Amino acid sequence: MAELQRDPITRSDFLGFGVLGAIMGAILTIPPVAFVLSPVIKTNILGQSDVDPGWVEVGSVAEVKENEPSVFQIEFPIDQAYGTKHIQEEVPESPRSLERFTIRNAVWVSWKAPIKTQGRQGSGGDELAAAERPAILDQKTEGFTQSEREEIMSKLNVLSNSCAHLGCPVRWFPDQKLFLCPCHGGLYDINGGYVGGPPPRGMYRYTQAEVREDGKLYVKHEYDAGPEHREKGPQEPYVV
Amino acid sequence: MIGRMRTQTTEASKFLVDWMEHRTGIVTIMEHFLYEPVPKRGAWLYTLGSAVLFTITLQFLTGILLLFYYVPTTDHAWNSVSYIMTEAYFGQLIRGIHYWSANFLMAVIGLHMGQVFFSGGYKAPRELNWVVGVILLLLVIGLAFTGYLLRWDQDGFWASVVGMKIGSYSPFVGAYTINFLMGGDVAGPGTLSRFFALHVWLLPAAIAPLIGVHLYLLRRHGVFGSEFEYTERLAKLHERQRLEEYADYELDDDDENGRDGGGSRRE
Repeated sequence: MAELQRDPITRSDFLGFGVLGAIMGAILTIPPVAFVLSPVIKTNILGQSDVDPGWVEVGSVAEVKENEPSVFQIEFPIDQAYGTKHIQEEVPESPRSLERFTIRNAVWVSWKAPIKTQGRQGSGGDELAAAERPAILDQKTEGFTQSEREEIMSKLNVLSNSCAHLGCPVRWFPDQKLFLCPCHGGLYDINGGYVGGPPPRGMYRYTQAEVREDGKLYVKHEYDAGPEHREKGPQEPYVV
Repeated sequence: MIGRMRTQTTEASKFLVDWMEHRTGIVTIMEHFLYEPVPKRGAWLYTLGSAVLFTITLQFLTGILLLFYYVPTTDHAWNSVSYIMTEAYFGQLIRGIHYWSANFLMAVIGLHMGQVFFSGGYKAPRELNWVVGVILLLLVIGLAFTGYLLRWDQDGFWASVVGMKIGSYSPFVGAYTINFLMGGDVAGPGTLSRFFALHVWLLPAAIAPLIGVHLYLLRRHGVFGSEFEYTERLAKLHERQRLEEYADYELDDDDENGRDGGGSRRE
C-alpha cells in the first residue's frame, strides 16, 4: 500500500475526499433506492394504504341464511400504480378520477353460532350450538331502528375469505359445515374459528362493519390483524 | 471445374479465418472455449453444465420474442398471453419452449449441482465457482418465481400470493419484503409491474455477467477430473504407495533380525 501511494495523502485531503464521497454517494444512491422502495416507505413507515378508506356496500343482511354463510363480492377502489390522489380530490367528476382500479374481495357473512365449549389447540375447534338469526329479519328487511341494527351487528360474523395461513380464498362446504382452504387444507367453522390445518389462527374479521337503515351491510378495508391483535396469531394483515 | 471452385472456396475461407484471427484472436478463443479434455469415464455427465447454459440461452431468446406481444398490465396481461397462445404464429411453440425449458432448467441445474457435488468439483481451487453457481441458482429461482405471476391467471396469481406470504414470515424483514414485492399493501397493478421489472430486466441483467464469471472461473481451473489433474494425482498416489511399500519391506527386515512385536501391523 505504501509503495502505491507516492504522494502521502494529507489529513485535510482525506477529510475532503470523505465528505465529497459521501455527498456524491448520497446523490447517486438515495433517489433510485427511494424510488424503488417507495411502497415500503409509504406502507411500512408512513402507514398509508393503497386502498380507499371509505365504506363499501356488501349486501342485504336479510339474504344471509340461518345455518349457512353467504358470500358477497365487493370491490375496494385502490390507487396503487395508477392513482393520482390530488386529481381525484380536486376534480372528482373528471373521467380520470372516476376510472379507478379496484381489487375484488369476497366477504363471507354468517350468523354467529354460540360457542358451547371453547376449543383448545389441536382439539378440532370450538363446540358450537345452532346459529341464531335475529327474529326481526322475518318481519322486515330494511328500515331498522338503532337498537335493531345493534342487535343484528352483535350476531353477525363478517369474515374475509383470505385464509389466515397464506392468503388463498376459502370456500364454505355445506356437507362438512366448514370453510376449507384449497391451497393447504386450512379448516374453519361457521364463525371463522380455527378448526384444523396449518393456519395459526381463525379467519380474519372485518373490524369496520355496520348495518344501515336500508338493511345493507357496509364494510371498510380493515381487519383484526396486526400488532394490536397479536393474541390471535403471529402475522400482519396481508389480505388480498 | 468443381475441384478448382472447391480450392478457391477453401482458400477464401482460410484467408477470412486468418484475417479475423490476426485481428481478434477469435479462433484461439473459440478453441479454448469449445475444446476441453474430459475423462472418458462419465464423459456425458460433463455436458450437464452446457445443458444449463443452453436452456438459459433458450430462456433469453424466447423471452425476448414473447416481449413483442406481452402487455404487463392487469387488464391486458392474461389477454396478451392468450393472444400469443391462440393467434400469433408459432406462439404456442415459442411460449411452450419458454415454459417447458424453464421447468427443465430447474431439473438440469439440480443434476449439474449433483454432479459437481458428488465428483468433489467444488473443492480447492474451485470453491468460488461453487459460490457463484449457488448465486446463479438463487437468481434462477427468483426468475421462476417472478415469471409465474406474469400470466395473471388464477394459478400464477395465487401461487405468487402464497409465495409472497411465505416471505412475509421471515423474521424482521418479512413485512418490508412483502410490501416491496407487492408495491403497496395489496396485490394489484403495482405488483405486476414490479414482477415484470424483476423478471425481464433486473434478474436477467444480474444473471448474464455472473454466467460470464462462472465460465471464466471454469476455464481458469478446467473441469474437475481432467486428464492432466488425474495423471498428476495418480502419479503422486502411486509414488506414495511405492514409498509405503518400501517402508514395509524395511520393517519386515527388522522383524527378521529378531525384533518381536508389532509384526501384525499389516497383512
